[in-house]
Amino acid sequence: MRNDPMQQLAQTDAPELSAEADFTTATTLPASEPLPPAPEPDAAGKPAVPPARKLHPLVELYIDRSPFEELERRIERNGPWDDWSLYLMALEAEEALKISDFHELQCLRLLPHLTPLPHQLETARRVLYEMRGRAILADEVGLGKTIEAGLVLKEYLVRGLVKRVLILVPASLVLQWVRELSGKFGIPAVAQKKAHTWSSDIVVASMDTAKREPHRSFLLDGEYDMLIIDEAHKLKNKKTGNYQFVGDLRKKYCLLLTATPVQNDLSELYNLITLLKPGQLGGEGDFAANFVEGRRVAKNEDRLQAALGQVMIRNRRSDGSLEFTRRMVTNVPLRLSPEEQELYDGVTAFVRERAQADRGDMASMLSLVTLQREVCSSRDAVFLTLINLSKKVAPESPLHAQIWELVNRIRNIKANTKAEKTMEIIEEIQDKVIVFTEYRATQDYLIRFFKERGLSAVPYRGGMNRGKKDWMMDLFRRRAQVMVATEAGGEGINLQFCHHIVNFDLPWNPMRVEQRIGRVHRLGQTEDVSIFNLCTAGTIEEHIVHLLHEKINMFEMVIGELGEILERVEKEETLERKLAKLVLESANAGELRERIDNLGDSMLEARRQVEREKPQ
Amino acid sequence: MNAKQVQKFVLAYLQSTGSRIIEKGPAHVTVKLSPEADRALTNRPYYWSFVDRTGAEPETMTFRWNFEPPDPSSSPAAPPPIVANGARIIQDDVYFGSRRLGQIFESVGQAGKCVMLFEEPPKGSAGPLGSQPYTAWLGVNFKATYECDMKREELYGMGISLATGVIDEQFLQRLKDIRLTPRLPSNVHLLRNGLSLRRAMTQLEHAVERKLKSADFGWAEEADERRRDELARVEQYYEPMIERAATAEQAEALKARYGRRREEIDWQYRPRVTLSVINCGIFHLPGID
Repeated sequence: MRNDPMQQLAQTDAPELSAEADFTTATTLPASEPLPPAPEPDAAGKPAVPPARKLHPLVELYIDRSPFEELERRIERNGPWDDWSLYLMALEAEEALKISDFHELQCLRLLPHLTPLPHQLETARRVLYEMRGRAILADEVGLGKTIEAGLVLKEYLVRGLVKRVLILVPASLVLQWVRELSGKFGIPAVAQKKAHTWSSDIVVASMDTAKREPHRSFLLDGEYDMLIIDEAHKLKNKKTGNYQFVGDLRKKYCLLLTATPVQNDLSELYNLITLLKPGQLGGEGDFAANFVEGRRVAKNEDRLQAALGQVMIRNRRSDGSLEFTRRMVTNVPLRLSPEEQELYDGVTAFVRERAQADRGDMASMLSLVTLQREVCSSRDAVFLTLINLSKKVAPESPLHAQIWELVNRIRNIKANTKAEKTMEIIEEIQDKVIVFTEYRATQDYLIRFFKERGLSAVPYRGGMNRGKKDWMMDLFRRRAQVMVATEAGGEGINLQFCHHIVNFDLPWNPMRVEQRIGRVHRLGQTEDVSIFNLCTAGTIEEHIVHLLHEKINMFEMVIGELGEILERVEKEETLERKLAKLVLESANAGELRERIDNLGDSMLEARRQVEREKPQ
Repeated sequence: MNAKQVQKFVLAYLQSTGSRIIEKGPAHVTVKLSPEADRALTNRPYYWSFVDRTGAEPETMTFRWNFEPPDPSSSPAAPPPIVANGARIIQDDVYFGSRRLGQIFESVGQAGKCVMLFEEPPKGSAGPLGSQPYTAWLGVNFKATYECDMKREELYGMGISLATGVIDEQFLQRLKDIRLTPRLPSNVHLLRNGLSLRRAMTQLEHAVERKLKSADFGWAEEADERRRDELARVEQYYEPMIERAATAEQAEALKARYGRRREEIDWQYRPRVTLSVINCGIFHLPGID
């Protein structure tokens, strides 16, 4: 009778051992060594264990039996033995995570926080099952390309088909991507900061960093289960370093994200698709012969569309299910009080005089225009700037006296016409309102002003840290009727529960105006959004509102269109600078109005161009 | 796994790791982790190596885990820690898909890998003189992964008698129905093994392989078709370009790129099956088979 199970099991007879040729790794390890990690097949699908045999003419079978090898070692050493309930739980976990079907979307049951929109889900499905994980996501701006990419990535991660991921985006979007992947998808992405970050499984980096040495060589030596590139239209030119670099990367699945797949030339689209799937549109010559009529004109449209449809998805706002609610824009004309008007006139005169003197020094000229804009916002805003300005000039100079004369005019102002009007609007609305201003000082003033009148208002600004921002948003949702915000950009501000916006003053960069509105007017907003633009008569503000609202009607433009228009208009100089120059160079209000109208016309022309060139 | 199943699973985990439950409600638990669970879940390798080296009394962490399925409209930010009786309690949502549950899954995978167990003999089954024969079985849980550009998995819980080489395909099910103990029961004798452990394993693998071979390979044929399609696409793109290349260097560069694209396609589409062992153990069961 042999009653020692260990002893008995440990007697593995040698001849048998060598007969089973596959068992080599474990037996060569001395028993005292720490256990090697289980050589699980990596996600790249290249099992660590050498192939054993064919299951089918097309299919090889790989075997990973590391827990069994561990069992042998434990028998040899007489334990230790694991707990039976943990053994069963390990199985239960595997059972729960098992992917029982090739096709059913797995990621959603792991993302209870997330409710993607129907077009986002459909896009993810098509990328996964029809396009086999290589696609151009070309939705119009604001429809959630990032969500679609996140869904595809999550699905591959959950299925264990992807482990190593490289995400290349413009530098300004790196942190936003990291936050969104982690917050919405529970994907632990790392922002590339130091060289060793590259060894993390999921890295988000800027294209500019990635393509530079020493990073470049490192990345080209690696293999990526998935490559995602945001703003991929920047890869349209195949002669650029970026294009070559992306072409040289080794990747399995690949997503290119762009809202504007074609800007100037059909060959740009061809280059983009060639990066993804060389040959999809034939060889270079074939493409020109088969599909190109003129630079921007395609021929054999149907065939081209069919070929494109296999690699590119473009959801449009006009596709029906993506209806946005309406925007209702009201201009609220105001007349400054005599004291405020006096200050405005004083500052305007001062600005003109200084502009003559500073001619050529663009930076100081721009700051002068800011002064004028600030008067239209609040005395608090202009006060600070004047004080700072006075510190920069010698106390005995006439300039110093001039500045202080303006500061004294501020003292005469007892009320803020705009703030009072805003109060009226808010009382009329009797609902949540977000008030945007460009200036910190105005923001502080407004919060005080509202508080004195028994209205609870919370601030929101760019300088706040993440936690504080979340807290302010939460306060606004639950408690306060009003939020006064200086920052419109930045992800994570979702204010769909509010549908009234007051533009206390307007940025001169239309994209920033659009961002403000976009915080509220986005997918998920169920109400029509009302927008109030406060506009002081007889000031530069009036001109700006005229340009943005009456002339180009930007408030009612299709989201995304504005970006394309600005890209064309702002070739050499930003709109903001153009406007500042016009303001300083015009002799009088009439001339200014005329020149701003011309600028508006060129924007309208750009808009018509954009519409003509829309790929259908 | 739904919220109830997750809760049950987590509580079972806490119990098997010897963690101390401070209080629990219908959908939450506050727990002070055992050293074992703390090592597995709190990601504090430096702290634990300090404890191991100095022999200091370990201070494990306390969590409050909420099992309510999260509200999709709430922000996913973690709630702030509670401080109670001077101890920091970290709050966590634990749901299927959460990082915390993922960690627990990983931890049970490590902690439930190899077992050695005996079936408890039914009471009064053997007199003081009679001794019951027990057979050793090798029980193995396999995961078969079918993979091309997509993926699917199957699990098998099989066992083989080390005495006779008989294979039981429902072995896991059989184990779930009996009472097992880590100690050798009295009045039991173990039969001599007719098979070495390795030979038994090989036979089990062969049995699984036979099963896999008889499956439908339509998926693999389709994947291979896609693979050949893709290869043809890059071929008609690169071959003419390589032929027309102006210089030898250009042709070389193109060839290199062509080769890379071909490798990528193979990597993505080639159908393959991986058979991996999830966990396994030796089970001594009454009977002579």
